Amino acid sequence: MTERRLLGVDVGGTFTDFVYVEGGRTRIAKRPSTPSDPGRAIVDGLLELGWTPSDVVHGSTVATNTLLTRTGARTALITTRGFRDTLEIGRQARPDLYALHPTRPEPLVPAELRFEVGERIAADGEVIEPLDEAALADVLDEIEASGVRSAAICFLFSFVNPAHEQRAAAAARARGLSVSASHEVLPQHREYERSSTTVANAYLAPVMSSYLNGLERTLSERAAGGGAVSLRIMQSNGGSLSAAGAGEQAVRTVLSGPAGGVAGAFAAALAAGYEQAITFDMGGTSADVSLCPGRLLERTDLMIDGMPIRTPAVDVHTVGAGGGSIAWFDAGGALRVGPQSAGADPGPAAYGRGEAPTVTDAHAVLGRLRPEQRLGGTIALDPQRAERALRTIAGPFGGDPLVAAAAVIDVVNANMARALRVISVERGRDPARFTLVAFGGAGPLHACDLAEALGIPAVVIPPSPGVLSASGMLSADVTRDTERGVHLTIAAEGGAEIGALAEVYEALEEQALAAIGEDGYGAEARIEYAADLRYQGQSHELTVGLAGYGSAAAIREAFQAAHEERFGFRDEGRGVELVTARVKARAAGDEPTAGIEGERSAGAEMEHEVMWDDRRATRFIERGGLTRQVEGPAVITQVDATTLVPPGWRAGPLESGALLLERV
Amino acid sequence: MAEHEQTADTLPDPARLAIFDSLVSSIADEMGATLRHTALSPNIKERADFSCAVFDAAGQLLAQAAHIPVHLGAMPESVRAVAHLAPWRAGDLAILNDPFLGGTHLPDVTMVSPVFAEGIAEPIGYVASRAHQADIGGMAPGSMPVAEELIQEGLVIPPLRLYRGGELVSEALELILRNVRTPDERRGDFAAQVAAQRLGERRIAALHDELGESAWTRHTAALLDHGERAARAALRELPQGRWAFEDALDDDGHTEEPVPIRVELTLEGGGAHFDFSGSAPQRAASINAVAPVTRSACYYVIRCLLPAETPTNAGLFRPISFTLPSGSVVAANPPVAVAAGNVETSQRIVDCVWGAFAQILPERMPAASSGTMNNLTAGGTDPRTGGPWAYYETSGGGLGGGPSGAGLNAAHSHMTNTLNTPAEALELAYPLRVLENSIRRGSGGAGLRRGGDGLVRRTAFLGDARVTLITERRSGQAWGVNGGGDGSPGANWLETRDSSGEASLERLPGKVVISVRAGDAVRLETPGGGGWGSAPSAE
Repeated sequence: MTERRLLGVDVGGTFTDFVYVEGGRTRIAKRPSTPSDPGRAIVDGLLELGWTPSDVVHGSTVATNTLLTRTGARTALITTRGFRDTLEIGRQARPDLYALHPTRPEPLVPAELRFEVGERIAADGEVIEPLDEAALADVLDEIEASGVRSAAICFLFSFVNPAHEQRAAAAARARGLSVSASHEVLPQHREYERSSTTVANAYLAPVMSSYLNGLERTLSERAAGGGAVSLRIMQSNGGSLSAAGAGEQAVRTVLSGPAGGVAGAFAAALAAGYEQAITFDMGGTSADVSLCPGRLLERTDLMIDGMPIRTPAVDVHTVGAGGGSIAWFDAGGALRVGPQSAGADPGPAAYGRGEAPTVTDAHAVLGRLRPEQRLGGTIALDPQRAERALRTIAGPFGGDPLVAAAAVIDVVNANMARALRVISVERGRDPARFTLVAFGGAGPLHACDLAEALGIPAVVIPPSPGVLSASGMLSADVTRDTERGVHLTIAAEGGAEIGALAEVYEALEEQALAAIGEDGYGAEARIEYAADLRYQGQSHELTVGLAGYGSAAAIREAFQAAHEERFGFRDEGRGVELVTARVKARAAGDEPTAGIEGERSAGAEMEHEVMWDDRRATRFIERGGLTRQVEGPAVITQVDATTLVPPGWRAGPLESGALLLERV
Repeated sequence: MAEHEQTADTLPDPARLAIFDSLVSSIADEMGATLRHTALSPNIKERADFSCAVFDAAGQLLAQAAHIPVHLGAMPESVRAVAHLAPWRAGDLAILNDPFLGGTHLPDVTMVSPVFAEGIAEPIGYVASRAHQADIGGMAPGSMPVAEELIQEGLVIPPLRLYRGGELVSEALELILRNVRTPDERRGDFAAQVAAQRLGERRIAALHDELGESAWTRHTAALLDHGERAARAALRELPQGRWAFEDALDDDGHTEEPVPIRVELTLEGGGAHFDFSGSAPQRAASINAVAPVTRSACYYVIRCLLPAETPTNAGLFRPISFTLPSGSVVAANPPVAVAAGNVETSQRIVDCVWGAFAQILPERMPAASSGTMNNLTAGGTDPRTGGPWAYYETSGGGLGGGPSGAGLNAAHSHMTNTLNTPAEALELAYPLRVLENSIRRGSGGAGLRRGGDGLVRRTAFLGDARVTLITERRSGQAWGVNGGGDGSPGANWLETRDSSGEASLERLPGKVVISVRAGDAVRLETPGGGGWGSAPSAE
C-alpha cells in the first residue's frame, strides 16, 4: 500500500484553510475562498501548492449556506391528511418575545408544494386508516407535473410503524424522485421537528451530492497525482462521513465548520495531556465556546435560521463577541460591545477603512497589537486610527482613550465569561477543573483574562490557532450514527420489558456497521450505545452513553447519574422513559497532526510599552522562536494570531507544539 | 456626551455598570435554567411558564429573567407582598399565590427569599421565582374553570413561610399538597423552585461579597438609574400628547354582555401614564384582571418599543404610572374569580394600549393580533389505563399585519409564547387524537399587509371527558389599522356522530364547560389578525 497523503481543508466565508500531511511532515496554507464555487479554491490551491492528497477531509459550509440563502433543490412534502401545515405552524411560538412585528423565515417547502394523503397510524403503531394508494398516485402526478425532483415524506407515527412511509417512498422513487423519508432521516417523535429535519435533508441532498461528486472527480483527475481521492465530510457532531454518505444524509453536515474547530481544539488538549477542556474560538464577529468533559458533547436541538434540525451536533454556545465587535453606549449610558460587528468590511478602524471603535482597536490602543503586525500578512495595523476611534467613546472615561480601551476589553470579556458560565457552572461543572483551549484569530488575546475570571488554571494555544478547524478535521474520528424512537418505560422497581430493546439496538448496530463498512472503515469500527432518557412526566431528554443495553437497572442508573450531575438531584421513586435508542459506529481518524511546521523565523524579540493594569515594558516574541518558558507580561506573535501573557502568567512550549499558559 | 456627565466619581463607570448588569442578569438566568431543568411539569419545562428575579435591599427589582410577559408587572411586587413577614432570618423562604396579595392567578405560585451577607443584620437583597403550576386544586383540573369566585378556582395561599431558618415548615407544605390534584408533581415542582431560590441566594451573596457592601449599594442604585434613563430617553423620542382607545371582551362566560376596557395614554416629559377609568366594573366571573396583570400588559407594550438591550429592572418602570379604578376588570378586588383575567383579559388590555400607540405611531405599529390564547382544558378517566388524566393547551392565531409585512399565521401573540403539544407527544400521553392542525386560510384581515391566518385544530376524544373552553374574539374581531380589514372571528364547534353514524356539528359558546363522549371531537377555529394599510384595488 502506498503511503497516504492527508489533507484537511476547511472552507470558510473568507478563507479556505489547508493542512497537509505527507511523509511525517505537516504543512499549512490559507487561500481566499471562492464562494460561488467553493471547490475551485480547493483544487486551484492544491495545484498551486503542488500538494497531491490521497485522502481529503472536508469541512464545508455548503449545507449551511444553501439553507441560509435558500438555494437548495425545490422540494415537495407529502404528509398525513390534516397536517400539511405542520411545517409552517411549527410549535406556534414567535422567535422574539418583544418584537413589535414578529417574523419567521419562510418554510423550505411553500404551501402549494405540500400535499396530504389519507392514512393514519396510531401511537401504538396500529393502522387505523390504510394508505390511500390512489390519492398517493395523484399526488405524485402533481409533483411530477410541477417539475420538482426532490420529495420529503413525513407521516404521523412513522417512527413506530414505517410501513406507509416505506410504500410511499418506494412509489416516489419509482418515479425517479430523490426521496427523504422521515423514518430514515430521523426516526423520532415530534412531527414538526421530524418534518423540518427531513425537509431540510431533501432540500440539501441534491445540492450536496452534485457538489461532492464533482469535487471528488475533479480532485481525482487533477490534484491527486494519480489514483482516486477518498473524500470525507465533517459532520455537525465532529465525526467525518464519506462523500456518498453525506450526499444521502446532507442534513448531518450543517455545522461542519464549527465542529471541526471543536474537534481540533479537543485533539490539541488531548495531545497536551488534558482530557477536560473548554474550547474557545473567537473570530471577527462571534465567539464559540464548547465544553469537552473527556469527549465532545453532542446536542440534538439545533436551530438553523429558525428551523429545527434534530441531527446530532457538537454542543457549541455562540455569543456576538469578536475582534470586530463595535463598542457603543446604550440609551441609559452603559457601555456595550457587540453584537454589531465591523466584520471584514469595513473592519476595525485600525485596518484602515472602518470608523467605529472595535475590540481590535482597543487592543491596538493598549499596545498589544503592533503596527508591524499584519492582518493575514498583508494589511498593516494603524494604531493612530484606532485611537481616533476610541476617542469617540472616551468622554465618560475622562477623555482618555486608554481608559476607554481597557473598558471595552473588560466588557467584551464579561460577555464571553457569561457564555463560559452558561456551558459550565450552569450545567453543574466547575470550570476550575478544565483547561481552556483558545483559537481563532482573537481567542489567544483574551484567553488568560477569561481563565482568570472563571478560575481556570491553565490555557492551551494550539500550534496554528488560525487553521485549527482544518487540522481538527484530519484527526476527527470517522462515525456513522443511527437512532430510533422507542418509548419504553423503566419502572422505579426495575424489571421492565426490555426484550424489544435488544432487537432495536441489534438492528441499529447492524445498520451502523453496514454504513461505516461502505465508507471503508468496517474492520476497525467500534460500537457505542446511547439513549435519550427522561423521568416520566418530563418533556426534555438527556442523551446518555450506555455500556450496553442488556440491563434495565443499569440503563436507569446511567440516567440517574447523568441527571444528578447535570441538575443536581435524582428522583428514585420515578419511572424512567427511554425515548430514543442511539448507536454510533466509530473508527479512529488519521494520525494527529502533531508538529505542524510553523514559520520558524529568527524569533526576533523586541520590547515595547503595553498597557496592562499599568504601563509595563513588555517583550514581544515570535512564536517560532519561543523555546522556553517566559513570564508575563509578554506578547507572543505569529501570522494568524497573537497570544497575550499578562503579568502573573507564564507561557512555554509543549512537545505537542502547543503553548501552555499557567498562572505563576 | 452631556448625558454621561451625571456619572460622578463615586458611581460605577459605564463599563462597570454594563458588567454589573450582565452579572445580576446572569444570576436571574441561572435561576431560570435551574427551575426549568429540574421541574417536572411540562408547563414549566416545555412551555417555560415562569420567571425569576433578583432584588436589592429595598425590594426593588434589579433583573428579571422573564419568559412570559404576563409576569413583568407582578414580579416587581413580590418582595413588597411578603414585607409584613419581616424580620427575616437566613434560610427563610416565603410562598404565595393570592392574586389579591401579590399574585396573578392561582396556578402562578411565587416564592421569595432574603439574601444575607456576613456581618449585616438586614437582608442585602432578595430573590424570587414565579412558576405556573399545572394544578392548584379547585373545581376543575388545571385550576382554570369557568368560575365566579376566586375560592372556586383553587387553593389560595396568602404570603407565608415555607421555610423558617432553612427548616421546611412541613405543616404548610402538607396543607397545600392535600388540596391539589397531583401532589407528587407539585412536590417536585416546588422542590425545583426552592432549588432555584437557594442558587440565587448563594450567587447574590457571593457577588455582594466580591464587591463589598458599599460598592454593592452603589452598583444597585446606578443600575436602577440606568434603567430609568434608558426608558425616559426612549419615551422622550415618541410624540408627546394624549390618546384614548377602547376595546372589549366578547362576554364574561356567564352573560352575553361585552366587557369594555378603556385606556387613556398620556406621553409627557419622558413619562407615560395609563388611565383605565371607564373600564367595566368587575364581574362575578373569571375574566377579572388584578392590577399587576394590567401593569404587565402595559409594560409589555412599552418593552416592545424599547431597544432590545434595555435591561428589565425597577428603573425601567419608574417613568410609567397608572390610574387603575379599584373594583374594575382591570383592577379586581375580592372575592371575584381571576383565572381568565390573566390569560384573556391581559390580551385585550394589550389590544387597548396597542390601539392607543397605533394612533401615535401609525407607520410603526402593526394591527391587532388574534387577542386570545384559545384555552382548552380537558380531563377524565383514561380508558387505556383506568387512571385520571388532565390536559391543558393554548393555541395561537393570526398576528396583525405590519409596515414590513403580513402578520404571522398560526402563532402566539403578546402575553404568551408557549409551545403547542406535538400530536405525537399528546397521543402517547392522553386518550386523544389530533385529526387536524392546519392554517385557517383566508381568516386574516385584508390589507396592503394582510393579517395572519388563524388555526383549525380538531381534537378527538377516545373516552368520555369534561372539556372547558375559555376563548375570545368569537364575536369581536382583531382590528385592522390604516385602512386594513379586521381579522375573522374565531369559532368553536363540537363534532358528534349519532348511533347511525350520522355526523353533526354544534356551535359552542366562547366560554363553556361540556361533557363529551368517546368519538366526539372539538374543533377550534382561531381568529385571524388585523390587516395593515388599504388593500390594493382589485383592478
